Amino acid sequence: MSIEKVFPIFAAAFAVIYVFAVQYNWALFTYHPKIGEWEWLAQPAKNGPPMYWYGWLVTSAFGATAVSLLSWPLARRGSTQYWLGWVVPAVVVVVFVYLFRSFFIH
Amino acid sequence: MINVLLIVHLLLAVVLLGGITHQAISAVWPSRNKIGIVRSYRAVTGSVYTNANIMLYLATATLGGIIYPVYRVGVRTFLENARLMAATGSFELKEQFVAVGLGLLPLYWLLWRRPPEAGGRTARLAVTLILCAIVWYGFLVGHILTNIRGLFGL
Repeated sequence: MSIEKVFPIFAAAFAVIYVFAVQYNWALFTYHPKIGEWEWLAQPAKNGPPMYWYGWLVTSAFGATAVSLLSWPLARRGSTQYWLGWVVPAVVVVVFVYLFRSFFIH
Repeated sequence: MINVLLIVHLLLAVVLLGGITHQAISAVWPSRNKIGIVRSYRAVTGSVYTNANIMLYLATATLGGIIYPVYRVGVRTFLENARLMAATGSFELKEQFVAVGLGLLPLYWLLWRRPPEAGGRTARLAVTLILCAIVWYGFLVGHILTNIRGLFGL
């Protein structure tokens, strides 16, 4: 099935959008665990720490789905670019280690 | 209730760890005969693990997401107050790695669904190893943080 040809693109797009979502806080919604409240988009702390992880995941899932659908007409004609689906996520993993280095280097 | 969910989360992670490691070993270091325990371990049909690993990954991540607020409010605050920055950072990385792994699951399913075509064999190995590394990292960090007070005498 030609839809499968976009799976590597989905994996790559998800990883890239996710790292941007974390870095620039593109959370589709925020959860305030102490008061059990949900809000649209990234919101500042209220009573206790806010949680953006769920919002980042949904932002990335929507973004990667959109990128995959947009690239489908092109991807269905050529061969499947499997390398995209693992090289990009592997690089993103390394980028995260770099972004979070301050936790480990004092 | 949270303790029960945490234990179920841990047990699912153990099963996932076994499944993905077994599949990864069979892909990286396959064997055609089953003489002895090591060769038997390597000679399994890796593709039979795929759907189970995907379901376990989703279930473990979902359960982790459900109990995450307790960590965020209680445990992380404790870690920050105790100045355990490496422990806090380890969990932050776990959170991000698990998310990257979620995005890999459709491709992982595709690559194991049938014998790989050109370029697919390397991708199958790489995706399986990345997911295996994420699961191992997540398991170890989760296990250490759950027991951090006892392990480090805090």
